[in-house]
Amino acid sequence: MIAMDVLSDALFAAVAGMGFGAISCPPKRAFPYIALLAAVGHAARFCLMTFPGVDLATGSLAAALLIGFGSLWLGRRCRTPMTVLCIPALLPMIPGKYAYNMVFSQIMFLHTMGDAHGRTLYMDMFFSNAMVTCSVIFMLAVGATLPMFLFPKRAYSITRRR
Amino acid sequence: MKESLTDVGTFVAEYAAHMMGCGVHTSRVIRCAKRIGEAYGYGVRVSVFQKSLIINVQGDSPQERYNEVTEIPALPISFAHNAELSALSWDAHDDRLPLAEVRERYRCIVEAPPLPPWLVLVLAGVANASFCALFGGDWWARGVVLAATAAGFFLKQRMTAAHVNHYIVFALSAFVASLCASASLLLPTATAEVALTTSVLFLVPGVPLINGVVDILEGHMLNGFARLANAALLIVCIAVGLSFTLMLVKDSLL
Repeated sequence: MIAMDVLSDALFAAVAGMGFGAISCPPKRAFPYIALLAAVGHAARFCLMTFPGVDLATGSLAAALLIGFGSLWLGRRCRTPMTVLCIPALLPMIPGKYAYNMVFSQIMFLHTMGDAHGRTLYMDMFFSNAMVTCSVIFMLAVGATLPMFLFPKRAYSITRRR
Repeated sequence: MKESLTDVGTFVAEYAAHMMGCGVHTSRVIRCAKRIGEAYGYGVRVSVFQKSLIINVQGDSPQERYNEVTEIPALPISFAHNAELSALSWDAHDDRLPLAEVRERYRCIVEAPPLPPWLVLVLAGVANASFCALFGGDWWARGVVLAATAAGFFLKQRMTAAHVNHYIVFALSAFVASLCASASLLLPTATAEVALTTSVLFLVPGVPLINGVVDILEGHMLNGFARLANAALLIVCIAVGLSFTLMLVKDSLL
């Protein structure tokens, strides 16, 4: 049952990664690698959050590091820069629910300005969600770009034929 | 025979401006431009800003120089151009290709037809529906998100083709996609809110966000912050579009 959950998580992440990648027009040979990285990254975060109970931001950092190193390794094989593989693979990990709650609580805050209880409630909701959204996006960006700075020589000559 | 300074300079300026325009991070553009100059025995220096770049190619004698200020064209983001143009700079460098051949390959890369718009629309719709599944949306919600994304993305493609201001494109597409997704409130699903949440996420500007961070970490502060400011404005536009829908349907959500 748990294995099925992990597999379905990986499958949906792979489809989402490929679709979001298609919007930015990647080379056709990159699609399988994007799918693989998106699946592995998202499933890794899912496992980290489900089993050891890691929080969302730390889980995202670990998954982004995995995607970053993966794109450094696979980028060499399909002669594409790291960012071509890692950006679409990261997109399924965007904390959409928290970003949505941020917008929703802002509207409700403005709507309940006259009510002290509602105002406090939505203000709290806005800041909690904003903090999670910003932290996770920051962790995703740092995790995916760190391998580029750790192995600059490989990252900078990734599209070289020889 | 050595390629002329002007020919190399003109080509490198066009090449670098195209790479910046299609969403390549700054240090890669500079490295690739320098590599092409090196392939023909010239030193290239590039100063890159958000909307234009200045290129200086040093000839054999101190008096011999080529300078150009080029406007960076506003192109759609293309990972294919990023990958192929980077590879082209290595091929020019390693195989010592004549400039005419590099020009020809460059022309083939930039003129290659992109993925058909209908295919991108379908893939984006399926991707967003999968995203909805990741957030726990049921089949009703996934179906609605698929249709809502298709509507929003179609509108985005049409408006972009008509050269509408891209902030307006993002806000209107987010509004239309989320409004279509709000139809899930009328359906027998407990995850209507998940559908609303995911319907606008195909618009998230991932490329400027990551490129912005890369640029800042590599010391190209101005370009990095310009990219992040652009990404932040686009996210605000998505939030504005979503807000209009939420204002219309908020009573059903409480």
